[in-house]
Amino acid sequence: MNNHGSTDLGANATDPVDSLEMLLHRMINRIRHSLELSEILTGTVAEVRSFLGTDRVKVYRFHPDGSGEVVAESIHQRRLPSLIGQRFPAEDIPPQARELFLRARQRSIVDVANQQIGLSPLDCPDTGNPLAAEDIRFRPVDPCHVDYLTAMGVRSSVVVPILHQNERQRDQLWGLLVSHHATPRHITAQELQVVQLVADQVSIAIAQSTLLDQTRRRAEQEATINRVSWLLHSMTETQLPQALGLTVNALKGSGGRLYIAAGGNGQPEQLFTVGEQPGDRLTHDSTIQIGDSTLKVETHPQWQSWLDTQVAVTEVEHVWAIADVATSGVSPELAISFQTAKICSLLVVSLQYRQQRLGYLSVFRPAIDIETLWARRVDRDDPRQLRPRQSFAAWLEVKPAQSQEWAFADLELAQALGRHFGMAIHQSRLYQQVYALNADLEQDIQERKQAEIKISALNAELEQRVLERTAELQRINTELLHEISERERALQERQQVRDSLDRLSRQNELILNSAGEGIYGLNLQGETTFVNPAAARLLGREVEELIAQWMHPLLNHSKPDGTPYQWTETPIYATLTTGVVQHVTEDLFWRQDGTSFPVEYVSTPIQAQGTIMGAVVVFKDVTERQLMERMKDEFVSVVSHELRTPLTSIRTALGMLTQGHLDTQPEKRQRMVEIAFSNTNRLVRLINDILDLERIKFGKTVMQKRSCTVADLIQQSVDAMRAMAEKAEITLTVNAIAAQVWVDPDRIIQTLTNLLSNAIKFSPQGSTVAVIAEVAPPSAQPPTEHEPEMIRIAVQDQGKGIPVDKLEAIFERFEQLDASNAGHQGGTGLGLTICRSIVQQNGGHIWAESTVGEGSTFYVTLPLSQIGSSP
Amino acid sequence: MMKRILIIDDEDDIREATQVCLEVTGEWEVMTASSGNEGLMKAAIERPDAILLDVMMPGMDGITTFQELQTNPATQHIPVILLTAKAQTAEQRELTQLNVVAVITKPYDPFSLSAQLNQAIA
Repeated sequence: MNNHGSTDLGANATDPVDSLEMLLHRMINRIRHSLELSEILTGTVAEVRSFLGTDRVKVYRFHPDGSGEVVAESIHQRRLPSLIGQRFPAEDIPPQARELFLRARQRSIVDVANQQIGLSPLDCPDTGNPLAAEDIRFRPVDPCHVDYLTAMGVRSSVVVPILHQNERQRDQLWGLLVSHHATPRHITAQELQVVQLVADQVSIAIAQSTLLDQTRRRAEQEATINRVSWLLHSMTETQLPQALGLTVNALKGSGGRLYIAAGGNGQPEQLFTVGEQPGDRLTHDSTIQIGDSTLKVETHPQWQSWLDTQVAVTEVEHVWAIADVATSGVSPELAISFQTAKICSLLVVSLQYRQQRLGYLSVFRPAIDIETLWARRVDRDDPRQLRPRQSFAAWLEVKPAQSQEWAFADLELAQALGRHFGMAIHQSRLYQQVYALNADLEQDIQERKQAEIKISALNAELEQRVLERTAELQRINTELLHEISERERALQERQQVRDSLDRLSRQNELILNSAGEGIYGLNLQGETTFVNPAAARLLGREVEELIAQWMHPLLNHSKPDGTPYQWTETPIYATLTTGVVQHVTEDLFWRQDGTSFPVEYVSTPIQAQGTIMGAVVVFKDVTERQLMERMKDEFVSVVSHELRTPLTSIRTALGMLTQGHLDTQPEKRQRMVEIAFSNTNRLVRLINDILDLERIKFGKTVMQKRSCTVADLIQQSVDAMRAMAEKAEITLTVNAIAAQVWVDPDRIIQTLTNLLSNAIKFSPQGSTVAVIAEVAPPSAQPPTEHEPEMIRIAVQDQGKGIPVDKLEAIFERFEQLDASNAGHQGGTGLGLTICRSIVQQNGGHIWAESTVGEGSTFYVTLPLSQIGSSP
Repeated sequence: MMKRILIIDDEDDIREATQVCLEVTGEWEVMTASSGNEGLMKAAIERPDAILLDVMMPGMDGITTFQELQTNPATQHIPVILLTAKAQTAEQRELTQLNVVAVITKPYDPFSLSAQLNQAIA
């Protein structure tokens, strides 16, 4: 055998082929018929050792920490000691060796006698790709390796790696299939190939077994979950402890607890426990009570914050797996409570429904003592440790109070169970709420029924009252209707009264506005309440400025002699204070412009129900009337004088005659008769003139107008006065145009005769009185508008003339130039007045012009109807 | 002894008739004037025992004439009797307020005129 050469495996196949095939056939059958790995491994080592004919064949399984354990072995006639169940430290198989087992699937064959090792990788150590050909390369073995094997009593060994694909489909070094022989033994390539085939079959069996384990575990978990779920959803609280117990058992815990926090709808917090409890001790230990409340670990202030510091189980949320509470950084209080309960490991699930935390599900595991049967004693403090193994005396190592790690499957299970717990608690709470609501509802229904009964009673009472009230209302309604009709009637009457009042008011206003007298109303203070337009006009003011004014100072009310009244002296004040009607005829009121006028007024009180409310003053301007009265007085006085004067002469003369004293004096007696007669005539003329004047003036004498020839009128007048003229030795001349006038001829002749008479009377003897008729020159006429064409007749004398200041006065009644001569001239003093009245009644004018010392001319104009003499 | 009286009146017929009326009693010597001016002059010259004075006269009326008589020491003592045709009460009142001895209204009673004058000047 070439130590450094390579051996063709196929070329060295010397063992019977049927033996190999038989071996493989048995192996495959065993794997097919058994699901238990230990059974397969036990059969495998037996078959391989039988095939190889070596002293000991074993299956060495690696632990995660690199150490290994013999899990199956077959020993031939105790030629080598049994190693089953023994652990070998990790140092026994260096990491580089394990790396080559894994990466290159390198097999090794050690020949201790020749100090050679044959290495046969299946894959390239660098790339990991399968090699084209299998060969065995020999080289000197490591002395340490030789020493190790020698110490174990092994002179020849074959090692084939057993690989296994984990869940992530990655190859891992599961273990080794090892053959030991106490004497030198040559291993052929074909034998190696057979062992490799067996190791491959073992790999398959491991895969099947792993799958079976996983399936079984999952089935168990699901069974557990189903049982817990069934218990939880039976909706009775008594099932919660059972579900908790099942959970603790399934998670191989020594105890556990279910803490349910207080619900928002009044559900109290709840705690269910199984086994040893930290809370049990906690509640009985006065030193760790906070206030009066019993402290539960879940409500400890640092419980949740402690959990938050723990490494999150990334795949599983709200699950905390704490392997060793003591080293987890928990608060001293909590640590003590756990220690006293001998709780080492803790699995906590936060029970949630959606985002709401309902409580915690906790499962405890105690610390346990772990026993390991080492193939040899390992003292890592001994420097000889690194030396080759000299002794393989078995050594039982005991590690006390070791924590029990939580497996991934535990976490999955815990999470699944926690979810069911959460849902169950939530449903339970919902149920409680519904139950409570139902209870409330029932209570409510009962109360409502009671209320309905009360309401029915009240309704009946109410109906009775409604009936009573209805009857009462009907009665009131009838009364109201009656009252309303009464009121409507009253309203109608009132409206009629108001209409009448309005009508009266309008009438009053109309009367006030149209009245010629000034009328104003006063209140008790003497302030005006109304003023009619005539009052304002008479006072030279506007109505508006007189309203609501104290009237007394505005009027400057004065006595007839001009002395102003004090307000309290006035008759109007007396009316306001005494209610007596005052009729005053000669007081003075003042206008705004400072002029005064005599007034006649009546102040009448305004009384309402016997109380004086004010007064109404009705006044008028009596200036005209006073003037008229004065004129009348004067007229009466003059008439009286004119009548009494001739009467005096007549009475005295007749008195003398009747007494007979003058019988002896015939001249005087005759004189008395003449005086009586002439004065009687004078009296007759006077009376005639007065009556004539009054008739003409007041239109009682109607002018009998017709078209007359002017010249005829003049001639008739002149003829009438010719005798008088001749007697006075006065010459009368006439010069008249041919024209027609529309006049009363008798009255015009009366006028001209009077003028001629005056002219003759006042003309000196031998003078001439001329009568001239011509068309009136416009300039010669007085300035009168719309004057029709007129004829002007002038009676011109050569008398002593009339003073200018008398030219107009002579037309007034009883105004004579020389009263003392009146008697002599036989005039009544009314002639010219009568003339003016006649001319005016005939549509003409009469006036006089005179130059003292030269004579006077009296002009009469008359409306011209036609120029030219009528036929 | 006959009393002397001056009649002042512008009416010729009244002067004449009144003169006759007084003279026939035999108690009066009558003088006449037809105007106020003439009357003043005659009164001052003749110093009559009484003056019968007409009120309404053209030119100087009776009132003015009376006032003139009163201002003249020669005539102021002569009793004056006013003779008036004004019969209205107001006019009468106005005249009686003057310092005259009597006011006689026209037409006077011719049978008692003398007695009235005597009584007035008594």
